[in-house]
Amino acid sequence: MNKFPALDSLRQDYSEDQYRIAILASYALALHGFEALIPTPVPWLRLGLSNIITVIALFFYGTKAAVTVTMIRIVLGSLLLGTFLGPAFFLSLSGGLAGTLSMCITMILFPGLFGPLGISLIGAFFHNIAQLFTAYVLFVRKIEAILVVLPFLAVAGTVTGAFNGIAAKYLIQEIKKQAIKDR
Amino acid sequence: MSGLKTTLADKVLLSICIFLSFYSFAYVKEAMPKGTEVRIEVDGKLKYTFPLNKDRTVQFSGVIGMTTVEIKGGKVRIKEAPCPNRVCIHQGWIESGAVICLPNKVIVTISRPDNSKGPDAISG
Repeated sequence: MNKFPALDSLRQDYSEDQYRIAILASYALALHGFEALIPTPVPWLRLGLSNIITVIALFFYGTKAAVTVTMIRIVLGSLLLGTFLGPAFFLSLSGGLAGTLSMCITMILFPGLFGPLGISLIGAFFHNIAQLFTAYVLFVRKIEAILVVLPFLAVAGTVTGAFNGIAAKYLIQEIKKQAIKDR
Repeated sequence: MSGLKTTLADKVLLSICIFLSFYSFAYVKEAMPKGTEVRIEVDGKLKYTFPLNKDRTVQFSGVIGMTTVEIKGGKVRIKEAPCPNRVCIHQGWIESGAVICLPNKVIVTISRPDNSKGPDAISG
C-alpha cells in the first residue's frame, strides 16, 4: 500500500505524546513570536504569554512534556527572532528553564496543592530570579542596577504570572470540556 | 490530573507575591548603597565636591546670582537662590538624587565617589 514502508514504522515510533508536544511547542512558539511584537516600556519587561502553554503542558502531560515544550520554544524562538546565542537568548534560557523546573518541582513535591494560578506565579517568580541572576553574572555586574530593577520586576512578575495562570486555568477547563464532548 | 480549581494555596501565594512586590520597593530603598558625596555643578561645570557626612554651608555665584547650599545631617538643600520661582528651595532636603535650579544653572547631586560610567542597562 505505502510506497515507503519505512515511513510507517517511523510513524509508529512516534508516540502520541510527541505529536502533542509538537503541537504545544508550536503554540508556545507562536505566542513567543507574537509577544515580541508587543511594545513594552522597557525591553526586559515581557508578558511571558508562552508560559500559558508550559502550564497547560505541565497539567496535561507532566513534567517531561513541559520542559521539552519550553526548550523547543526557547531555541526555535531565538532562531526565528535572530537572538540565538545573544544576551537575550541566555536570559530567556535561564529564565525559561528556572521557571519550568520550579513549576515541575512544585507539582512533584506538592501534587494538587496549587492550581494553575499558583503554579504560574511560582514559575514567574523563579523566572525573574534566574534572569536577574544571569543578568548580574553575565552582563551587568552592578548590584545597584539589579536592585533598581528588582521591585518593578517583582510587580510585573506577579501581574503577568497571575494573568497567565488564570488564562491557563480557563484554557485547561475548555480543553477538558471539549475532550468530553468529542468522546 | 488534579486541582484545576483555584485553591486556597493559590490565593495565599498570590497574596504573598503581592505583599513581596510592594515590600521589595521599601527593601531596595534601604539596601541601595547610599551616596556619600555632594557635587555642585554650575553651568555644566563641576564646581565643588563635598563629603555628605560633614555639615557645612557654602555660598557661591550661580549664573544669575548668589546661591547658598546647606549640608546637614546627611542631607542637602538649596537654602537661598535668586531664581524667580524657587522650585529648588521648595524641594527641600534630599538624601539621594538631585536638586536642579534651571534659571540659575545649578545642579546639586548626591553620588558615590568615582562612579564608573558604564552602560546602565542592557537591552534584550
